[in-house]
Amino acid sequence: MQPDVTTLDEPVEEEKPSSRKRRRRWPISFVIGGLVILGAVIYLIYANTQANAMYYMTVSELHHCTICTTQSVRVAGTVQKGTVVHNGTQISFVISDTNGQALPVVYSGIVPDIFAPGIQVVVEGHYTGHGPFQAQTLLAKCPSKFTAAMPTP
Amino acid sequence: MHFSDLGSISLILALGFAILTMVVAVLGATRNIPQLVASARRCVLVVAFFLVLASASLIASFLTHDFGLTYVAQHSSLSMPWYYTTAAFYGGQEGSLLYWAMMLSVFSVIFVFTSRRAPAMLVPYVTATLMGIEAFFLLMLTTISSPFVRLPVPLPDGVGLNPLLMDPGMLIHPPTLLMGYMSFSLPFAFAVAAMITGKLDSDWLRSIRRWTLAAWSIQTAGLVLGAWWAYHVLGWGGYWGWDPVENAALFPWLTSTAFLHSAMVQERRGMLKVWNLGLVIASFALSIFGTFEVRSGLISSVHSFAYSAIGGYFLGFLCIVVVFSTGLFIYRLPRLRPEHEFESVVSREGSFLLNNLLLVGITFATLWGTLFPLISQALSRQTQTVGPPFYNSVDGPLFIALVLAMGIGPLLAWRRTSTRTLWRNIGIPALAAAACAAILPLAGIRDIWPNIAFAVCAFTAGAILYEIWRGVRVRHSHGEPYPLAIYMLIHRYRQRYGGYIVHLGLVMLAVGVIGSHFFQAQASATLRPGQEIDIAGYKLVYFGNIAQQYPNVVVETAQLQVWSDGQLQEYIYPGREFYANYSNQPSSLIPITTFGLTDLYVFLDNWNGPAQATFDVFVNPLVPLVWYGALLMLLGGITCWWPEKRRRRIDRSLSPEDIPVTVGARAELSREDTLVVAGRASVIQGTGTQAVAGLTSQAEESDSEVRDLPIGEEGAIT
Repeated sequence: MQPDVTTLDEPVEEEKPSSRKRRRRWPISFVIGGLVILGAVIYLIYANTQANAMYYMTVSELHHCTICTTQSVRVAGTVQKGTVVHNGTQISFVISDTNGQALPVVYSGIVPDIFAPGIQVVVEGHYTGHGPFQAQTLLAKCPSKFTAAMPTP
Repeated sequence: MHFSDLGSISLILALGFAILTMVVAVLGATRNIPQLVASARRCVLVVAFFLVLASASLIASFLTHDFGLTYVAQHSSLSMPWYYTTAAFYGGQEGSLLYWAMMLSVFSVIFVFTSRRAPAMLVPYVTATLMGIEAFFLLMLTTISSPFVRLPVPLPDGVGLNPLLMDPGMLIHPPTLLMGYMSFSLPFAFAVAAMITGKLDSDWLRSIRRWTLAAWSIQTAGLVLGAWWAYHVLGWGGYWGWDPVENAALFPWLTSTAFLHSAMVQERRGMLKVWNLGLVIASFALSIFGTFEVRSGLISSVHSFAYSAIGGYFLGFLCIVVVFSTGLFIYRLPRLRPEHEFESVVSREGSFLLNNLLLVGITFATLWGTLFPLISQALSRQTQTVGPPFYNSVDGPLFIALVLAMGIGPLLAWRRTSTRTLWRNIGIPALAAAACAAILPLAGIRDIWPNIAFAVCAFTAGAILYEIWRGVRVRHSHGEPYPLAIYMLIHRYRQRYGGYIVHLGLVMLAVGVIGSHFFQAQASATLRPGQEIDIAGYKLVYFGNIAQQYPNVVVETAQLQVWSDGQLQEYIYPGREFYANYSNQPSSLIPITTFGLTDLYVFLDNWNGPAQATFDVFVNPLVPLVWYGALLMLLGGITCWWPEKRRRRIDRSLSPEDIPVTVGARAELSREDTLVVAGRASVIQGTGTQAVAGLTSQAEESDSEVRDLPIGEEGAIT
């Protein structure tokens, strides 16, 4: 979409000399207004990307992670069979990636409906390097097979 | 002989005819042979016939439980009720492609039948573009993604549809959303035709606006149905999660909304032609991009689709679309000079520009967030993602600014508005905003952001209602009772007041979103019988669990009493359904009780035996406003779009003497275009009628201009 913003001005630039009245097509107020909005959009995107970007990695990558103690990360993996333990509202399980690297996870909160051993999950939280991964969010991959908009957080 | 054989043959024939139509239409237009153009139009009917036949044979295969067909075996089973069996038609990738292609052919037929309303010169190129898109889909349907692939040995029973899809939402949401994606093909086809012929005048604009309105309305319905479905089945208490798949559906909606507004600037003032073409092309490209994005596995989404090679095909198609239309675009740039110049920011077109920049800004920000995993991978070799907080804090303020622009826009006149008029018009909406800002903190809402957001909504609602009130008052003073005055006002100036209805709906939706975003309350607890959860004035008392066995389903529910204001309101039964074939994928039963404008949303998280259960309870204030607002938006969209009967009646009642005059006038207007001198009686008749329709609509415009005056020129009419 960004290129469109520039094409908006392009023909204008070209036509200036040929314009009958030789008037500026874009009064200064429009230019300022446009720049203000563009600036606001770019600032919002920049600031919030900085604030909200989160590393997304596999279990193997997490084991070599140096910044994970201070930052929240997302880790994807498959729930291992026979590792799911319910303990009150807390649930613990082990996920692993395709290389066979395993990661124990503890989580308390809403467990998605389709959560079960063998499915793909994404956990989000802190990893101190020792002990289990403290997940704040648990996402399960939705098994839909078509383009419906069905959000799961 | 199976139904599926009929289907495969139909698809191949449809592909043949689609390519034929394309060639014939282009030949007819370039060689100026009207007979060829006419036969291309008939060919479109043939393509549609074969596609409907293919779809019918797939549905017949489903209903006759032909499990020798891979697609049927994968998506249905003997135990499914007939309506889900029928809906399984679009439950998988192959079927949804067939559904898309079929709907495109049906829309093409509608275009052919209404093509007399469109500028005749454009018709062959629109037809060719539509059939080009159709051919792409048919190519995939006949080669890599055919729904008619047979198994060597038929299965005794099928796998069945995913339980999450066995929901009434399945019957309406996917077909609407797919239809929405598809319908952006028509404005795109008009844009391509206009760029090829260089005919980008007001007739073209009227046709393309109409089709965009249709596409916009369908996409709105698809998006809202998706949100509604998610809210009712997914159990996390919300309706929109900024998932890449949802965002993909939002992109074309945003850009087409922008187009619908900037097109008015072009209609009235002949400006922003380049920008408008860009928006139409972008809407179509984004709808194709959405399909590509979710099918290719390019971006990790919580939806996992059956990834396949079609992602690559869509990328190829997307590249062709972008390269082809950009080429045409550059070729036509010299013709796209604005007819007027912008005079003042404080004008209607100024507010439309503001609206467009905001909408495109929102699109870009959302696209940025969606593609951020790829962008960060490219920049830093580390995949990073952004979640809902990013979208909320970027898109939220921009949406609020958009709502504000929506309120200010109608208060401004075209070209320029004097400061005095502006202040006079802004009085009442500002009063509404001030009242809102004063009352809400007293009512206990102390956060600054929801207060600002609600005040903006009050401003815009005040502005729109004040506008409608002024119109109604004028009609009432001419002796119409109020209800009739409202009806006549909307009936007479459909586009204007339809637009206001859409805006009112959007304000309602915004209020719902703000309310549920800032004031949602949540509680989770594990209960034993007799224990209770207290949340935001509601009390839930747990009784125990009930298990019910049905032939194909096991239903586990918990029984709860809902108390509010010290009174027993009702019993609710949150639970789970386990289908035999998908026992590891239960689907949730989520009771949502609405008290006024507040939803009490209870999700059974977990249970243990008959006497212990864990619940997640959400109190979602104002969520019903989201649905009411969306309904109002749809109603407004349809009001704008609905064909005007009166105009047609005028056309028919025209005496033959009138026509040559208008045709003459028209021929002069469009001297550059060779169309009018085609010499065929039917063509002249057609254009004549259109010219008259154009004139009547212009008369109507100037009529509405009179209504505009109190806003624009000070004290001209009061």
